[in-house]
Amino acid sequence: MTGPGEATGPHRATPPAVARRTSRRIVLVHTATFRQARQLVPVAIPALAGIGLGGGRWTVVALVVGITLVSLATAALSWWRFSYLDGPAAVVVTRGLVSRSTRTVPNDRIRGIEIEAPPVHRLLGLVRVRIDAAAGGSTSAGRGAGTDEELLIDGVPRAEAERLRTAVLTKRSHVPAPSPDPLDGGPAQQEPAPEPEEELARFDNRWLLYAPLVGGYLAVPVAAVGALSRIVDELPDRLLPDVDGPSLDSPVVAVLAVVLALVVLAVGAVIGAAVVNWRFRLVRRGGSLIAVRGLLTRRHTELEIDRIRGVAVADGAGMRLVGAARVNGLVTGLGDAQRRGQLLPLGPRAQAEELGRRLVDDPGPLTPHPAAARRRRIARAMTAGLLITVAGAVLTATAGWWPLLVAGVVLTVLGVPLGLGRYASLGHATGPRSFAVRVGWLVRERAVLERRAVVGWQVTQSWAQRRAGLASVVACVGAGRGGYIAMDMAAHDVAAFAVGASEPWATRLVPTPSGEDETNRS
Amino acid sequence: MTVAPAPVREPAWSLPRTAIGLWVTESLISALFTLVVVVALLIWVPSDVGGPVPFLRWAVPIVAALEVLVSVAVRPWLKHRVYRWEVTGDAVYTRTGWLSQTWTLVPVSRIQTVDVTRGLLQQLFGLATVAVFTASSQGTVRIWHLEHGVAQRVADDLAVRAERTRDQAT
Repeated sequence: MTGPGEATGPHRATPPAVARRTSRRIVLVHTATFRQARQLVPVAIPALAGIGLGGGRWTVVALVVGITLVSLATAALSWWRFSYLDGPAAVVVTRGLVSRSTRTVPNDRIRGIEIEAPPVHRLLGLVRVRIDAAAGGSTSAGRGAGTDEELLIDGVPRAEAERLRTAVLTKRSHVPAPSPDPLDGGPAQQEPAPEPEEELARFDNRWLLYAPLVGGYLAVPVAAVGALSRIVDELPDRLLPDVDGPSLDSPVVAVLAVVLALVVLAVGAVIGAAVVNWRFRLVRRGGSLIAVRGLLTRRHTELEIDRIRGVAVADGAGMRLVGAARVNGLVTGLGDAQRRGQLLPLGPRAQAEELGRRLVDDPGPLTPHPAAARRRRIARAMTAGLLITVAGAVLTATAGWWPLLVAGVVLTVLGVPLGLGRYASLGHATGPRSFAVRVGWLVRERAVLERRAVVGWQVTQSWAQRRAGLASVVACVGAGRGGYIAMDMAAHDVAAFAVGASEPWATRLVPTPSGEDETNRS
Repeated sequence: MTVAPAPVREPAWSLPRTAIGLWVTESLISALFTLVVVVALLIWVPSDVGGPVPFLRWAVPIVAALEVLVSVAVRPWLKHRVYRWEVTGDAVYTRTGWLSQTWTLVPVSRIQTVDVTRGLLQQLFGLATVAVFTASSQGTVRIWHLEHGVAQRVADDLAVRAERTRDQAT
């Protein structure tokens, strides 16, 4: 079953594309990681519970051997039934044990290729290739940016992965050319001369110290502790060491516990950040940006510079204290954009801003929003507290239960600084080729987008905003989160901002000077 | 209410008046559900429970009655005044909402898909919704409740023109 398709290094390029298989070594990897066998767990657990674990060493041994065999069998089966083919016009992946599925992705729909090397794969010299494809475009399957699909080719040698990447990306860039005749395939296949690399960012290990102030990394130790406690819960009691409760005074214990928890949080966040971002590097090679990172799993993500529509520089409340920030590229048709679009996962603010400026024109300093926006931000920040206060007042009056009332009052008072902070973040700017909007307090994000990125405008004005002469404007873009808001800007600036931040069609928004509203209404 | 000038231009065309009938019907149906919930509250929650229950027993029905009154007798007409749409040479433009208003503008060159949908109630009133999709998940324009023939013509016209003028920037 191996045949000529066994992928070993660079292949002869021109002959009719043959279906290739992944390396046989992947069976070992999948056996060890129970990749396919994992799906059987929901079936296996009730079955085991039915049979019952009679205790005894041999049952356990038999169980381990059995599970490993099942895993080996399923891994071998799925390797046997998997093949892929990078033809001249499309990548085709065939898989499936019982029902065969064939997925064909045209080359011009491929948006990027990611090569990742998890630890077990690395031991055997294999990698995993993810091919990102935009579903849709003109077909009716396309519903916005959220419907991307991907192909996963798990377990090819690194050299084959590189060949695949070059082949697919080269063919793709030739597709829009007017003459897609088969002869074109020959020269296109020749290895292009290695293009010079330019390093845009390199991770400095000292930046790991920022990690304890970033929400996302703080979640790492919390999740780890949660998982650990669940494991401890599952263990039978006789396996747990007999720990006596601490016999110290309780205040001392409480302080110690808090200090210990803080240390664990900080260390865990640093470790988490190190595992994900280890030796992060961002380089520009030809028309692509390539990001490489990871300690255990090395990830190798490639983004086309042509598809970058903007950058988002985010700095949370904690990051602002130490002057840190991170940069995300806003790339059209990128699946899992939060992770793959990262251009600088964590770093000093100045460097983040500099990187952003190198990719997208800087539109200049932000214009703050009018004073009415400050009142509105404060009012909005106090709303939740006020509602709780009212509910608390009702409870106090009817049931004499006052803690909710106190909590409501405290929250209402805290709303004032929160509202001020949120107002301070608001701003927008337009430049000759790009524009910027900024919003948020706990996670503040400044998005800088090219004018051509805008595929629509959405202006909203609530009743309160109309009274205050404000409006919120969302620039709809086919990249990143899909929309970036300029919140509570002066209502009379909206049309000018939209015209200045997108292409000429936006002049449709400009109000006609005198009394046309009345003529239309009649 | 002081009439401040709108932040952006008003789209040119209003919806057919049958849309009002549709909105009233929708409100009546949801009023039925509200009624069921309120009656259930009055029947099954005993009045002699302490805490906020006695207060809620008269507050909830009043709020529900007001909501039904507004949604049946006021909101459909307000909506008909607010909902407007227009299709010009290079863009689709709508205004929706009633208290809170939303203007959406999408250029024809960035349209990816155009759909016409007719809900059950819409079919009774001979209406249809045109939905225009772009590459952005937030950049979707829906022109609600056009007469069915008009909706179909608008959708066909937009699809043809989008095909012709699509650019590759997205």
